[in-house]
Amino acid sequence: MVPVVPVVQPFVMLELRGLSKSYGASRLFESIDLEVAAGEWLAIVGESGSGKSTLLNIVAGLDRPDAGSVLLDGKPLDYSDDDALALWRRRHVGFVFQAFHLLPYLTLAENVALPLALLRVPRAERTERARELLAAVGLEGFGERRPATLSGGEMQRAAIARALAHRPTLLLADEPTGNLDQANARAVLECLATTARGSGAAMVMVTHSPMAAGCADRIVRLSSGRLAA
Amino acid sequence: MRRPHRASFVRPAGGVNIALAASLSRGFIAANGLRIALTLSCIALGVALAGAVHTVHSSALAEVDRAARTLAGTADLEVRGARSGFDDAIFARVASLPGVAEASPVLEVRAALPGRDDTLRILGIDALRAVRMQPAFVPGAASTGAGEVSLLLDEKSAWLSPAAATRLGLGKGQALRLVAGTGVREYEVAGVLAGLAQAGEVAVLDIAVAQWHFGRVGNLSRIELRLRPGVHPDTVSAELARFLPAGVGVSAAASSGERAQAISRAYRVNLDALALVALATGAFLVFSTLALQAARRRQEFALLRALGATRRGVAALVLLEGAVIGALGAALGTALGIAASRTLLQRSGGDLGAGFFEGLGATFTPDPAGLAAIALLGAGVAVAGALWVARGVAGIAVADALRDRAIDLPFGARRHAAVAIALAALGVPLLFVPPLGGLPLGGYAAIGAWLVAAVAAVTPVCRALLGRLSPEGAIASLGVAQVRHLPGHLAASVAGIVVSASLCIAMAIMVHSFRASLSAWLDGVVGADLYVRAAPAGDTAYFSEEEQRRIASAQGVESVEPLAYDRLVVGDGRVPLSLVARPVTTRLLEGFQAEPPGIPPPSSAPAVWISEAARDLHGWKPGDRIPLPVAGRLVDARVAGVIRDYARTWGAVMMDWADYRRLAGEGRANDLALRLAPGAQTLAVQAAIRAAMPSAAGLVMEDATHLRRRSLEIFDRSFAVTYALEAIAIAIGLAGVTSSFAALAWSRRREFGVLRFLGLTRREILRLLAIEGAATGALGGLIGVAAGAGISLVLVHVVNRQSFHWGMEVHWPLGTLLLLFLAIVATCAVGAPVSGALAVRREAVLAVKDDA
Repeated sequence: MVPVVPVVQPFVMLELRGLSKSYGASRLFESIDLEVAAGEWLAIVGESGSGKSTLLNIVAGLDRPDAGSVLLDGKPLDYSDDDALALWRRRHVGFVFQAFHLLPYLTLAENVALPLALLRVPRAERTERARELLAAVGLEGFGERRPATLSGGEMQRAAIARALAHRPTLLLADEPTGNLDQANARAVLECLATTARGSGAAMVMVTHSPMAAGCADRIVRLSSGRLAA
Repeated sequence: MRRPHRASFVRPAGGVNIALAASLSRGFIAANGLRIALTLSCIALGVALAGAVHTVHSSALAEVDRAARTLAGTADLEVRGARSGFDDAIFARVASLPGVAEASPVLEVRAALPGRDDTLRILGIDALRAVRMQPAFVPGAASTGAGEVSLLLDEKSAWLSPAAATRLGLGKGQALRLVAGTGVREYEVAGVLAGLAQAGEVAVLDIAVAQWHFGRVGNLSRIELRLRPGVHPDTVSAELARFLPAGVGVSAAASSGERAQAISRAYRVNLDALALVALATGAFLVFSTLALQAARRRQEFALLRALGATRRGVAALVLLEGAVIGALGAALGTALGIAASRTLLQRSGGDLGAGFFEGLGATFTPDPAGLAAIALLGAGVAVAGALWVARGVAGIAVADALRDRAIDLPFGARRHAAVAIALAALGVPLLFVPPLGGLPLGGYAAIGAWLVAAVAAVTPVCRALLGRLSPEGAIASLGVAQVRHLPGHLAASVAGIVVSASLCIAMAIMVHSFRASLSAWLDGVVGADLYVRAAPAGDTAYFSEEEQRRIASAQGVESVEPLAYDRLVVGDGRVPLSLVARPVTTRLLEGFQAEPPGIPPPSSAPAVWISEAARDLHGWKPGDRIPLPVAGRLVDARVAGVIRDYARTWGAVMMDWADYRRLAGEGRANDLALRLAPGAQTLAVQAAIRAAMPSAAGLVMEDATHLRRRSLEIFDRSFAVTYALEAIAIAIGLAGVTSSFAALAWSRRREFGVLRFLGLTRREILRLLAIEGAATGALGGLIGVAAGAGISLVLVHVVNRQSFHWGMEVHWPLGTLLLLFLAIVATCAVGAPVSGALAVRREAVLAVKDDA
């Protein structure tokens, strides 16, 4: 009998099939195909206006493609049901913004725990998770502070903690270092590398920054409506 | 030499000039159309209301004055007595005084018109004397021939003023019918006296005819006096004072305008205070509009400061915007007020139906100075609202605002608890300030202090109520956090609703208390089965003693109690005092809530019970001996107690019928209170009385139930305007808070975008807004109810007591308050998501990129 050696194939978490998008007569991209594996960190680079952020928004279900489909864990997104997309994002997607977008009237712990609260996770559990995550991003003891009292780098690390709070299968980051100086950018990228990569989520990052792109496992360029490795 | 660069601005003010300010404010105006329109309309409403009330009353007072001057002619002084008049025997003595050149006797009565509910003012004059001093009584050449003067002496002729002729639709040769006693007298209209064009509605008869027909033989109401040249009025007044009988006084001629002003002042001031409700709401809406915009424009202000504008400069910009809103609102309100006053004068008369200036068709007579003062007040409240915001804007932390870290409105919210407590405490001593010039100014100042305290209390109360609240659900906890952590936003949003709700709730409690107290009082004093009056109104109808006996013997009547009324002149005669004579029993005193209760032991001095108004206005108290002019004699009466009398504003004394009859020497009664025999049917008794009084044309009969119901209907009608104004103030306050939500939601659209990214559906965000709206509304409503309850006590125990001298118990309309509170919460809960829907509809992707 020939022994069977199990071969571990990389598991495709996110798949884009023939994705096209235009604004009026202006074609943004056409027939894009892309796969991102679970635990993989993909960076999409490209010039301003090339459609990187639009692509990210389509993946997040916040914009709809003209043609093609987006599959997460093999299941296609249904763009016709806005509420279903919101619930899908709530369960499966984490988002890191260029401008951090922490809610100013919540404490840092409340901001981080917000996705868990939306999923009705019990208070004690989400408080503990927020504490763990803040410690993981180097903000231990910052839980009761408000965003306005933090530096840009600290706010972005808190935003990363929020994005990971509900253990998403897909992490989307739109220019996560765009508002930061080099030192803070490096700290944030390190934070993403350790916490996000360790979460097993597929991560798609849109960036202009070569330093940020250099941290990713794979880089693709969006140019003239096409993706190139 | 190079010419210096010519500045393009008009006047630099801390780096922000008029041209720059105009250009910066353009965006503010464009973005706040609805809020500015609401704010403008609130200020316009307040100014219009105050302006209309002021114009109506100034027109009426001018008309009273004109009428008095027309009727007084060239008289310098007038000798005036009680409504029941005085003995005409003194006329000869007055006319023969050395300083008196001419004297003209007048009998004035108000006669009921048969078949109608209104009355006509009747002047009985001595034509031969009057024409020498009062040319208005001389038939004009254009309307009558000289020979017609003799018609003034004809017992069948009456002359009408143009206003009376118009209202009654009567012309020369037609019949004028007037109620006299229980019968009717008919006169032929001899003509219309053009000279009385400004005298109001008046009919003129010969004085002897008037005395005879209206049962006032030997009786005068007043004597007009013209003095000899060089004689000082004080000299003649002093001489007159030596022999005039009790209850007859001397005053300057044509002083009825002054008296009308004094009598109606509290009423007018209270209507003005109601207009201030709208103005106060407007002031807080200005604050709210500018404050929310200040939040939205904080980076703009910070940038201006970074570019070199001074603190005063940016504050001036906000003040300028407030001033422009105020000026526009005031201008619009003044125009509306003038238009409204014209309509009100035509429809409700010069006293808005309050009965102060009966029979006076007031001509539109605006008072430019008064209207300008009201308009300035309107603009002033807007500037006051803006000042609060301007102070916050001046203190903005530039660096934080530029980095978008100063998320709340720039107000010193930390000190608000201390401010609220200090203002609330300041109001307490103001409650004990005695009336100034008859006006409850201390009470009004306390209300103002408590209103500002209520607004200042929003933040600390919010902290106290929501500080420990931590709902389990994500949406609810987000809503609570938003309300809790942005106190400046919260204060700005609910300021309008706190002010309008507290004032309206205070008015609602006061009116309810008043109505409940009136109802209880009516139950006590309206104790007879049937009330019979000789005429619906006027003072020429009465029952003689023989007629009283006839009614008493009608089938089904068990007993008859006579009631007589007079208006006395006491002191300087500026404050009228009513005399009510009726059989006084222990049961009646209980109904009038007499204090001390019960009838005192008999004594040589007749006992009288004074009303609360008489106590306050004349300073009398139980046990005092007071000189009362009754039937031309000064009676040394003793005050046996204080009674509650909601029927008369200006004080009354109640005397037992037996004492009155003994003093007056006759038993003529204006009303009769009947007790029916057991088993007697009211309708049958009414028919029996009509049969016993076949010639009684104006007889009015109503049972106790009907009388009570009619009294309450009159009460409700007189407060209808109040209810309408309250509803408008609440509606504007709610519209203001709803538009605050819209402005706030628009400034939070980026936050909504983030929440959409985090997985909230649009419906959930709208639910979040509804929760925030409900929480905000509940907070505003709670503070409004609390402040309104406090202010209502000031209205009941201070303002009402000092203005109208009526005591009343506080009755809480719990159902109405709960309904009002729920309506506020529900409107905010629905209004917030509806007004925020536009901001929520915005695409999440665009929202998170929006830096505005």
